[in-house]
Order: sequence, then structure tokens, then C-alpha cells
Amino acid sequence: MLAVATLPCLAQTAPPAVAPVPSLAASPAIPFNRGVILLDPAHGGVDSGSRISDSILEKDVTLNLAFKLRSLLSARGFSVVMTRDSDAATQPGSPNPLTLDDRAGIANHAHAVACLLLHATAAGNGVHLYSSELEATPGEPPANPWLTAQAAWVTQSQRLQKQLGLAFTRSSIPLVMSRASVRPVDSLTCPALVLELAPNGSDNSTLNDSAYQQRVAEAIAAALVFWKNQAQPPANLTPDQIPTAPSAPSTGAKP
Amino acid sequence: MISRHQRILFWVLVACIIAMASLLFWERERARDRISALADATPIDAPYTNTESITLDLANDADGSVTAATRAIALPDEATARARALLEHLVAEYALPDSPHPLQSGAAVDDVFLLPLPIVGHAIDTSAKPNPGGTTSTVPVASTDPAALQPQTPGGELAVINLRSSFVNAHPSGVEVESLTLLSLIGTLHANLPQIEQIRFLVDGQPRETLAGHADLLRTYPSRDTTVQATVPDAP
Repeated sequence: MLAVATLPCLAQTAPPAVAPVPSLAASPAIPFNRGVILLDPAHGGVDSGSRISDSILEKDVTLNLAFKLRSLLSARGFSVVMTRDSDAATQPGSPNPLTLDDRAGIANHAHAVACLLLHATAAGNGVHLYSSELEATPGEPPANPWLTAQAAWVTQSQRLQKQLGLAFTRSSIPLVMSRASVRPVDSLTCPALVLELAPNGSDNSTLNDSAYQQRVAEAIAAALVFWKNQAQPPANLTPDQIPTAPSAPSTGAKP
Repeated sequence: MISRHQRILFWVLVACIIAMASLLFWERERARDRISALADATPIDAPYTNTESITLDLANDADGSVTAATRAIALPDEATARARALLEHLVAEYALPDSPHPLQSGAAVDDVFLLPLPIVGHAIDTSAKPNPGGTTSTVPVASTDPAALQPQTPGGELAVINLRSSFVNAHPSGVEVESLTLLSLIGTLHANLPQIEQIRFLVDGQPRETLAGHADLLRTYPSRDTTVQATVPDAP
């Protein structure tokens, strides 16, 4: 079952009825597993991220949103891999803090059909969606694979961005879509987006509003159900072109 | 018959009139000299006080847009001073009340360095014989990165913007707000100094990972038109 689910050509026509278990030891020849979603709640531990107010920190908002998303996605048959599932962002089995390259390594080993880097801010309102600023280079080995690994996936990331944008528009959630250079998105070998949650209106405290977070999470989950069967691997990506971080951990926190 | 006292009074009055006229003429000459001195055209400040029309790429946090706006300001002629003055004017716009992209007031840019592309360094010449004085011969070497630091057109330059840590440390944190600041800086340089092809950032002379925790400050950004409007996805 797992083998069928992880073969992209077969999974397009016969998606698995039961969500496959994410296989982190899968062959690098498999571009992605359609049943796996990677969530990266940004910051964590001593890195609190943006201080939205005296009582609201970005690291807490991103983790709460990730938990809501994980529940919704699991209910829809996805397996969710999270780079952290507690306040501390440490490497597995080690007290060392999780670096941005470590997060990218976890994402690349998960072979997810979508990688969402979750952030939060007090600026603007609604949801901000960013894809990588790299130019698409299908089939051409980049000069520095680790820092430009996303180049082969940019086209898919932009399609995912459009899919999520439509879902937010349908849900009447204010939306800004653009491109940005935010590490480690350029090192990800999956359709990857930076999703930044901004307040609902001008009140920053709405970032902690459970109902608002739930509405955003439901829009994302609905879009990912559609995306599951629309995602395509880069045309000319070969196993040799899938980079890994020099000291990336082999696994991440799993639900 | 006019009395003697009346004649004396008449000539005293005539003398007073002549004296008053002389005083007025003398005061007029002094005033003219003073005004002439104020109108002295001898140059004192550097000759860049003529205003010119420049383009600032202004960011808006509300819709994530960057729009071009023209301003008439005085700029120096020298390219690096011009680039620095441009960026300072840009940041000053964001420090105004009711700015759509509010940033803290104060100096933001310490220096701007313009380096001709391609960047050429120097390496020790292993094939050369040791110099008698103990010095080592070097040879110029180009960057080994084929994608970066190469000019698109002859005369292309790399701009290295050295930001002040006081500006960076006080910058609001967030993907959108940080990206818009970088886009605004890059777009303003692109619009006014077309010879700049690539842009890098330093903070107090040192590389820093991010602007305020999100936007990448380590990469080399291409100089480009960054004016963007808020994107709304098409209906299916």
C-alpha cells in the first residue's frame, strides 16, 4: 500500500483510501508522498520570534495554528510531520537548538506533498502567502544545491500558493500573495510556502483567537485536499539532484 | 522787515535740513552695502543644492504593495553619497506620522559601497618564487560562483549597503514587513541608479542572517523593479 501511495504516477489516478504512514527512509527517487504534509511552526525555545504584544509571542501563535492544522489534516487522511510539537525547538535526542538548515532537512526527508512554514506578525491583516524568490530552473542543476534547491520546485510552489489563495478568498480571509526570501524555504525540495498569519482586522489580540485560527486552518486543510491530487513532481528532477543538509537530522517530531 | 531772530532761525532750519538729508543719504548707502553683502553668490556649500525629481518605491503594509512615487529632493552627484542620501530619504518617509509602512526615525544607512562587477579577489601565487623581502606574490582571481557577482552589462556594479544596527534592531518583525523594507530599498536603488545590478546587505559592517528574524540578509539580491500590487488569485 505504501509503495503504491508513494509512486506519483499511480497515486494520481488511484489515491490511497487510507493515509500512508510517512516513510522518512523512502527512496530519494520518490519526489513526494501525497499523503504527507510538513508543518514548520517557526521559531521556538529561546527564539520567540516577533513580539506581537506583551502577552503574545510569534512562536506560540505558530505552534497553536500548527496544532489546529494537524488535527484537521489528520481527520482528512493526511499524515503530518512537524518540525517541533512543543515550545522547545531542539534536534531529536539532543538539547541542541534546531537550526533553519535542520528544519529544511526534516522537511526534505519527509518528502511531503506540501511544506508550510508558519509565521505570525502584527503587521497587516489576514494571511500573507509567500513563495520562494528563486527563479524556476527545471532540470538544471543549480550552482549551490542546498541554497537553491527550491528552484526546481518553484513552479509547483506557485501553483500551491494559488490553490491556497483561492481557499482564503472563498473564506473571506484578507490575503496578500507575493514572493519573499525567507530561510529556509530556498532549501526545501517540496512545494513550499511561507504562510504568515496576521491579525483579523486591526486588533493584534485576534492572533490568539481560537476561532480565527480555526477558520484559517480549515481553509488551508480544504485547499490541501484538492492539492493532494494536483501536485506534480518537477519534470526533470533526478535523484542525484535532491540535496540534503550536511548535518540534517534524519527525522523530525511526529504526531 | 524780517527781524534778526527770524533770519537766524531760518538759517538754522536750513542747516538742519541739509544735515538730515546728508544723514539719510549716508544711511541709505550703508543699507545698500549690507544688502549687497547678503546677496553674495560666492559658493559656501557643496554644489548639490539643486533639487531633482527622483523615484522612491514606497511600501504599504496594509496590502503588501510597493508603489513608485516621485519626490523633488537635492542629491549629491557622487554615486555612493547619492545612493546613501536616497535611502535615507526613503527611510525618513517611513518615519513620518501615518506612514503605511511605519519604521523608527533616525539614520538607517551607515555607508553604501559600489563595487564594479565582476568581483575580483586575490590569491597567493603558488607558482611564483619567494620574494627576497619575505612578501608573497598574489594573482587576481574571479569568483568561482558562476551565477553570482557577474555583470549583466558592462559597467554593472554591486552595491553593498551597510545598515546601522540601531535601525535593524528597531525594525518591526515579520515576513511581510521585513520583505517590504528590502523590496523598497532595492527598488529605489534600481529606479535611480541603473548601473547597480546586485545588492548585498551588512549590519555595522558584519553579515547578519535576517533583518528582524525573517527576511534573508545573507543572499545577494538582484537589483530590479520591485513595484508590486496586492495579488488576488483568479477564480477557478
